[in-house]
Amino acid sequence: MSIALPAADVVASQASGRSEIFVHELYAALQQPSNLLLLDVRNEDEFQMWRIETRHTPETLHLPYFFFLEEEEKAIAQVRARATNGRPIVVVCAKGGASDYVAERLREAGLSAINLAGGMVEWGDFYDVRPVMEQPDYRIYQVDRVARGCVSWVFVSRGEAAIVDPLRYGERYLKLLEEQGAQLKLLLDTHAHADHISSGPDLAELTGAAYYLHPYDAIHPFDMLPARMKYAMLHDGQRFTLGALQVEVIHTPGHTLGQVNFLVTAPDGEAFCCTGDNLFIESFGRPDLGGQGERWAPVVYDTIFGVVKRRVPDHAWILPGHYASPAEANADGLYMKRLEDLWRDNRSLHFTEKERFVEFVLSHLPYMPPQYVEIKRVNIGLSNPSLDEADELELGKNICALSG
Amino acid sequence: MTTDVATIQVHQELDVRGLNCPMPLVKARQAILKLDVGQVLKVISTDRGSVKDFQGWAKAANNVALLAQSEEAAPDGKTLYLHYVQRTK
Repeated sequence: MSIALPAADVVASQASGRSEIFVHELYAALQQPSNLLLLDVRNEDEFQMWRIETRHTPETLHLPYFFFLEEEEKAIAQVRARATNGRPIVVVCAKGGASDYVAERLREAGLSAINLAGGMVEWGDFYDVRPVMEQPDYRIYQVDRVARGCVSWVFVSRGEAAIVDPLRYGERYLKLLEEQGAQLKLLLDTHAHADHISSGPDLAELTGAAYYLHPYDAIHPFDMLPARMKYAMLHDGQRFTLGALQVEVIHTPGHTLGQVNFLVTAPDGEAFCCTGDNLFIESFGRPDLGGQGERWAPVVYDTIFGVVKRRVPDHAWILPGHYASPAEANADGLYMKRLEDLWRDNRSLHFTEKERFVEFVLSHLPYMPPQYVEIKRVNIGLSNPSLDEADELELGKNICALSG
Repeated sequence: MTTDVATIQVHQELDVRGLNCPMPLVKARQAILKLDVGQVLKVISTDRGSVKDFQGWAKAANNVALLAQSEEAAPDGKTLYLHYVQRTK
């Protein structure tokens, strides 16, 4: 068993005199079961909105930091009761300030506590990069913004690269492409996102690569205003060549009117379908973020059971734009599944009647975060937030799938 | 928190501009203990997170009430977050 491993890492961090660990270290430690105790000292509503979740989320104790100010002994006793035998404690707050204070109090009380540097802000900005496929002719990488459940995909072949659904920090991709010795050729958004800010337009300006979006999504669904950024138009059936890879655009409306899937075919016969907010591993993209749930839900049905069934081969790997839980990943931490397995395992797809499907969809629509309207404005150049405002717009987990 | 800020009688001001979490709260807590019961502390902060923190603190502590919170622009364009805290015990 590897249970002692991450705990040992944290203890080792402390033994070397460190009072804080970085998010990538915590993330690595939480890739296997561990006996870490996470102590979250944020406010109740912040904790309820989002928290640290991984494939092996450790036991989490929530105790706002002002309890450590008001009733220090009582608060420490509560932590101590859960952290016997030198059990390592990682303390987390919004930005790493209050948690540093609490970790210090706990260490003074003889507990093995360490601060998460930068807190949830840093955790929210952490991107996990993992190889999906590394063949002589092509390579694929999953770039996962862990805290938000947002997944993007990087394709590299013969020195050329494409990014599907690039997330906000474009420079992270450029670093990856530099390591790969690849030149960015295609920036492809499956749709105009409502839950996160795309770096597509910025990366296009920075690198000279073309940024592609379907024109239906270049109109804001609430404002009814046209995009004010530079983009090239996608259309159904369009094809791109990326080194040895062939990319086909499949128009898959429903989540948005301009949602497309990118079907990537490799020379070895493998196929990969970036579905954005069309199909997920569990569930699929909700149809109501444009304010037209009742009208668009039947469109989702036609797309999934018509277009996708007809045009995406059963052996294709589905590479979605989101997940709701880290449990959707495979053993390698990858959010991918062959379409034939998805038909079987994704219970939201077990419908044969359009009417039942629409009923199901409309009765499982989660809350729509109000900032989603604004994020869409940002993504088509109608609004230009400051860094702080952008951070706030993107707070928390995505809510792009159906609930339940 | 329906109290109109203009009607609150402030007995002491605490300037924690430039300090980040948890310091605004740590200092406010020390300052409030020096006031008499019923007196009001006005805290001036530049830390946006202090808004929620003071709300949470007022709920957790048994000797303070948060009478009001407001925002105003500082001369340098930064936003100031103002908290009016009363010692109740």
